[in-house]
Amino acid sequence: MLGTLTTLMLVAPEWVLRWTKEPRGNAFWAEFVVWPLIQILIVLFIVLTLVAYLVYLERKVSAFMQARLGPMRVGPWGLLQPAADGLKLLLKEDIIPLKADKTVFQIAPIISVVAALVVLAVIPWGAAWATIANVNIGLLFILAVSSVGVLGLVLAGWASNSKYSLLGALRSSAQMISYEIGMGLSIIGALMFARTLSMSGIIEAQQADGVWYVFFQPIGFIIYLVCALGETNRAPFDLPEAESELVAGYHTEYSGFRWALFFMAEYTSMLVTSAIAVTLFLGGWSFPGLGLIKNQTLFVVVSIVIFAAKVMVLIYLYMWFRWTWPRYRYDQLMDLGWKWMIPAGLANIVLTGIWYVLALPKSRGGVFGLMQLGLRDRLAPTRWSGIIYFVVTGFVITIPIIWLVLAAINRRTRDFNLHAQRQLQIKLRAKRLQKHAEPQAAGEGAS
Amino acid sequence: MREQGVDITPGTLFDAEEMVINMGPQHPSTHGVLRVILKLDGETVKDLDCDIGYLHRGVEKIAEHDTYAMITPYWDRLDYVAAVSNDLCYVGGVEKLLGIEVPRRAEYLRVALTELQRIASHLLWLGTHAIDIGAVTVLLYAFREREEILKIFEDFIGARLTAHAFRIGGLWWDAYPEFEKRVRDFLKILPGRIDEYETLLNANRIWLSRTVGIGVLPADEAINLSLTGPVLRGSGVKYDLRRAQPYSVYPEFDFEIPIGENGDTYDRYLVRMAEIRQSIIIIEQALDGLPEGPVMAKVPKVIKPPVGEVYFGIEAPKGEIGVYLVSDGTTKPYRMRIRPPAFINLQSLRRLSIGHLVADVVALIGTIDIVLGEVDR
Amino acid sequence: MPRVKSTADRRTLGEVIKRLLLFDLFKGLFLTFSYNWRALYEKRDGGNPNQAIYTEQYPLEAARVSERFRGAPRLNLDPESGQTLCIACDLCALACPVDCIEVGSIRREVREGEKVNKKKVLTTFIFDTSRCMFCNLCSEACPTDCLELTQSFELAVYHRSGFRWDREMLEKGIDYVRYSK
Ligand code: SF4
Ligand code: SF4
Repeated sequence: MLGTLTTLMLVAPEWVLRWTKEPRGNAFWAEFVVWPLIQILIVLFIVLTLVAYLVYLERKVSAFMQARLGPMRVGPWGLLQPAADGLKLLLKEDIIPLKADKTVFQIAPIISVVAALVVLAVIPWGAAWATIANVNIGLLFILAVSSVGVLGLVLAGWASNSKYSLLGALRSSAQMISYEIGMGLSIIGALMFARTLSMSGIIEAQQADGVWYVFFQPIGFIIYLVCALGETNRAPFDLPEAESELVAGYHTEYSGFRWALFFMAEYTSMLVTSAIAVTLFLGGWSFPGLGLIKNQTLFVVVSIVIFAAKVMVLIYLYMWFRWTWPRYRYDQLMDLGWKWMIPAGLANIVLTGIWYVLALPKSRGGVFGLMQLGLRDRLAPTRWSGIIYFVVTGFVITIPIIWLVLAAINRRTRDFNLHAQRQLQIKLRAKRLQKHAEPQAAGEGAS
Repeated sequence: MREQGVDITPGTLFDAEEMVINMGPQHPSTHGVLRVILKLDGETVKDLDCDIGYLHRGVEKIAEHDTYAMITPYWDRLDYVAAVSNDLCYVGGVEKLLGIEVPRRAEYLRVALTELQRIASHLLWLGTHAIDIGAVTVLLYAFREREEILKIFEDFIGARLTAHAFRIGGLWWDAYPEFEKRVRDFLKILPGRIDEYETLLNANRIWLSRTVGIGVLPADEAINLSLTGPVLRGSGVKYDLRRAQPYSVYPEFDFEIPIGENGDTYDRYLVRMAEIRQSIIIIEQALDGLPEGPVMAKVPKVIKPPVGEVYFGIEAPKGEIGVYLVSDGTTKPYRMRIRPPAFINLQSLRRLSIGHLVADVVALIGTIDIVLGEVDR
Repeated sequence: MPRVKSTADRRTLGEVIKRLLLFDLFKGLFLTFSYNWRALYEKRDGGNPNQAIYTEQYPLEAARVSERFRGAPRLNLDPESGQTLCIACDLCALACPVDCIEVGSIRREVREGEKVNKKKVLTTFIFDTSRCMFCNLCSEACPTDCLELTQSFELAVYHRSGFRWDREMLEKGIDYVRYSK
């Protein structure tokens, strides 16, 4: 509901503008009221079903990786399991802890799920009419709104009045904020090439350049993936809800449908981050050979399918990581964010900038002159020579440099010097024990 | 205010950042009903204490009212993931008290079963330890292999978990015809499976950063805390009852005792994995040299040991499990005392975890490998 | 025994390069993916450890229960006369560590051919499955192979009273729900 409202708010300014200028006819209502509403309803319906089935998919994928079968009993192959789960969660008692802050407790999951759903408005699901709102600052909008989601978690943790929830909320806020920085940095490289924040614009730019930006920005893509894992609280960064430590983290005290809302938010934001990655790095709905389809409707439908397929590949990747690797510890997670992701993101920006400036046309002060003016005055790499130049710089030069930079920054960490770290820990231990334990032991004797 | 030795006085203005948090008895990773009271500074553990007894059944007292044969099933329920090893301890104790010579075939089968049980117990430990650290998949793989062992047990003994495997004087059943083949088949696939676990964990950087240097226990401290089993050997002390106080037919087998170097969680993990490999070697030897003959010694129908007392300890998967029996010449023991390895090893938790983070406490509870059935008895 | 070592402790150039290239992480990914892939095409064979999927779908597939399994108790009858084998000797009740057997008997005159003997005859037999730990001690103590623990293991009931099995139930066995698809 709220998601729909906010989406409407997005369309509203333009709507009001038109309202004042143009004569109002049937076409107006059709274009600005009926059609958006239909789109919103369709998207919400599809996405929510999809989210339910993502849970099913996750269970199946994890089962297959673990020599199990997963849900099998509800419907053939357990295909109706999401429906059964949803029904169960709806019918469950909604428990609110006695000492919880009631209002906040009730609002928190809504904030979290709305922040995740609103973002869906600007995602280009496919070509032409399948792009619902082509906002010219789409990407910025997504980053801004999705970071509101963390508010939901913090409030939930605080309002539950439980220590586990509080610890989970603290962890998640610290984690999401630090990974958002890395995420923002990783995007910039691709944006240098796209030169627009509009989501459809980014896809068009990739079509015009004839190459997906993952080939120009391999490091950016990797950083984005890792940060997206952190941002969506997925393993190996699922600390806020680390089951073995904090029971269920910020939603320990939630039950029934409120809990389901958090769950929905998590999977929706997984969907959203994958969709952004697809748009930004994997060419969105475009695919080589797609232009051959002449029928307009078919074209759009195929584009939607392509988009969905790409998103699914990324989501499978998420699930794959989750069910293979152990979980990081909180401080190590922060290490990874601040000592690996953020320096890598910064270095990537610098290096990409250098390659970009060097490749500018000679008239604009470049050296190699491997770019030309293209669509809408946008500088595009020249066909083949420019593209090869950027791919080569991206893969062959940027990756090793960044890798070495990171290795230099982190040369003292476990990843490179396990032995020394081990000895250090052993030495530190004596100190720690003295600091913490001894006064306590004395106190024990006294009591 | 104190609870279980942890000062839980609410913080004053200056140390208000301390938080007392109660982990368990119903917590996903305390391996049963252990209650841990943590005093945290941020996420750093400042103090910790364990509250046990939620699973107390008074086995030692019950034993005073039961005949010697009737006590054996209770031993299954101490360390219920290694029931066969427990049975060996008790049955061996009573046999020592009675002075019974157990047939060699029975001894060989006993060794094979207990070593299988050691593998099963270590696999369960591996799975739960990995899931504590977040590697869920290892659990399912480990349980698959454990299930194979339990199937062998079911066919041999008649039960999977609480086996009641041995009787005083030998075994109730002889090995079933395909026993040897089944075990050999299993041992053939097991090394490959261990490699699979190690692919997922051994060099994985996340696993390393979660285990290396965590919960270091120097050898002298480990001895002072009277730890036994892999926890002790992880610290580099070469002490294994199978060699130090040989029992059953272990002296006839050729195997090695893996020990660690640094005494951290990672070493304890490596030690246990190496122990699984050693157990495979022992079982193969036991099957190769399996003698023919009866599996039950001549035992009087009513067991009435002479007056006296006896201590018998064996190397269970978790450490030295021992039984101290006092007989007053009647059919019931005058006193039975259990030396529980997990209970004693658990005492090291405080020293291990002070100064580490909450997440490490979970890993450390896992690395000690406790089973609350035995801790609480 | 040499001390346990792992590749992680080695500090050779090869190891460092492997770590730089995230080999350790990819190795794990490869393993899980191979399982996932095999699960998609391999024939399902529940309970076979060499197959990618190990699950036995229990109520649908019949559970594999071994011959020696100690499950629901049964009082055997003499296959010829149909009389109970139990001689009401009470040994099983004495052997049980948790006292879950109650043997009721009376002394009665029994005509055997010419002679008339005074003999103990079984009247009631109560077996409490909720307390039983299926240790087999009772069955081992029984001198006539009358009491036996069988392979049936589906002992759940809806009410506590259902745990107390009387002589009739023990002799006939219980009706089990048979699952089908
Ligand atoms: S199986 Fe064991 S517990 Fe059950 S009735 Fe027989 S002796 Fe008692
Ligand atoms: S031991 Fe056997 S014969 Fe004796 S009372 Fe029990 S069931 Fe009957």
